[in-house]
Amino acid sequence: MILFDRVTKVYPNQQIALSGLNLHIQPKEFVTIVGSSGAGKSTLIKLLTREEVHSSGKIIVGGLDYDTIQSKDVPLVRRRIGVVFQDFKLLPGRRVGENVAFALEVSGARGREIKRAVPKMLTLVGLSSKANNFPDELSGGERQRVAIARALIRQPKILIADEPTGNLDPKNAWEIIELLLKINRFGTTVLLTTHNKEIVNALKRRVITINRGKIVKDEEQGRYSLESAPTAGIKA
Amino acid sequence: MLQFWRVLHAGTRNFMRNAWLSTAATVVMTITLTIIVTSFITNSTLTQTIKGVTDKIDVSIYLNDAVTTDQRNSLQAALTADPNVQSVHYRSKDEALADYKAQIGNDQKLLEGIQLTGNPLPASFQVKAKDPKHLDSIVAITDEPQFQKLLDPTAPPSYSGQNKDTINRIVRVSNFFKTAELFASILFIIISTLIIFNTIRMAIFTRREEIEIMKLVGATKWFIRGPFVFEAALYGIIAAVIAVILSYALLLGAGPKLASYINVASTIDFFRSYPVLIVVGELVIGILIGAFSSLLAMSRYLKL
Repeated sequence: MILFDRVTKVYPNQQIALSGLNLHIQPKEFVTIVGSSGAGKSTLIKLLTREEVHSSGKIIVGGLDYDTIQSKDVPLVRRRIGVVFQDFKLLPGRRVGENVAFALEVSGARGREIKRAVPKMLTLVGLSSKANNFPDELSGGERQRVAIARALIRQPKILIADEPTGNLDPKNAWEIIELLLKINRFGTTVLLTTHNKEIVNALKRRVITINRGKIVKDEEQGRYSLESAPTAGIKA
Repeated sequence: MLQFWRVLHAGTRNFMRNAWLSTAATVVMTITLTIIVTSFITNSTLTQTIKGVTDKIDVSIYLNDAVTTDQRNSLQAALTADPNVQSVHYRSKDEALADYKAQIGNDQKLLEGIQLTGNPLPASFQVKAKDPKHLDSIVAITDEPQFQKLLDPTAPPSYSGQNKDTINRIVRVSNFFKTAELFASILFIIISTLIIFNTIRMAIFTRREEIEIMKLVGATKWFIRGPFVFEAALYGIIAAVIAVILSYALLLGAGPKLASYINVASTIDFFRSYPVLIVVGELVIGILIGAFSSLLAMSRYLKL
């Protein structure tokens, strides 16, 4: 599903974010990526969503070779991948339902299609009663559910969750992780980055540890550890 | 198509949300378009006025009654040979009298006077110059000795009935107004471009978050840019409608006061004869200014 072959990313200021990174993620996997701040997690995600372009190596996602992407195709690449962030990134002026519908509007879905899909998705994330609320009327956990609903509404094969629990209390954090596991059971490949040690250890799923732009550990049922900087960047 | 409507809808919503900035941009655009439309219309009127008065500049060369046909023909040949002469028309005494009668109409006293004196009006050549500003060569011909003696001693050659100075002044003033209007139009196009540029720049800043989210969920570049372009075009569309109404009202209201200076009636006629041209022209100019300024702002502040 996701293949990184000796991928290097050097930023214009000569900072090397990833160096010769190899990564292979199978369809329907649930993978957690850990690493201290600046290890290269964000760059990895930005390469996947094509916010950044790799300097060398090969990236193939869902059969699409990223070397062949032209600038006009970038929106199409992004529609194939759902992304949620620590700060939710919801439109404050739009209601919950409208926020979720927005992802479909952008891709040219018909009104009828949107009306059918949005309530279903809100039910999936447990927010069917909040469709007409504005984001600031919701708790942090609920907002993240809206973001997940928006990321999933186009039924992407891959869901990237970039520190989705970073702003949440432990209870809400767990609810979000459980939601991600549920989505994964439905067949979506989930890529989670987190600093939350308890969550990583409890998940008992594949854990990839990145340090200085390289994978330093890749375990099928991994535990949270940051080899070269054991305590750095732990938030939870 | 569906995407297109969504872009229009988003543009309209942005316009409403930014009520104050939108109003300011629309007002400036309205002023600009009003200046453009009044300039355009008065320009065409002034051009006609100038053409009208310069057409009237001709030289009347009055002949004495003793001139023979041969003499007359030689003068006509000399005038026709002048490169600045466009046409030479001979008006006989009878024609002059007929014209005069037509002019005075039913004024019995004047008619009686003519009958008493016989026909006092001289025959004449009506010479029309190609360039009315340079009549010197025509004057020079009449000053030649062999032609001098053919002229009517009581009526020296007249240049548009001594109106030449007035005509020149009208031409000068009209040209000044045409230049001033062109200058004002360009100045205001620049001002409104800058104002809209700034309005859209502000809109981009206030909506950075929304733009980021649009990118995130896979909006195409034109789906993101479109609402800004449409918002700016909307300033132009609304301003065009107001400007046409405003300038028409201005013409009707100020018309009586201006009537002694310019031909207001023909200006209003022009407005009534070409309503579609004026409205469409204003819309096109307004939309172009808006779209251009917003594209300019986006090229600098909206990196996608």
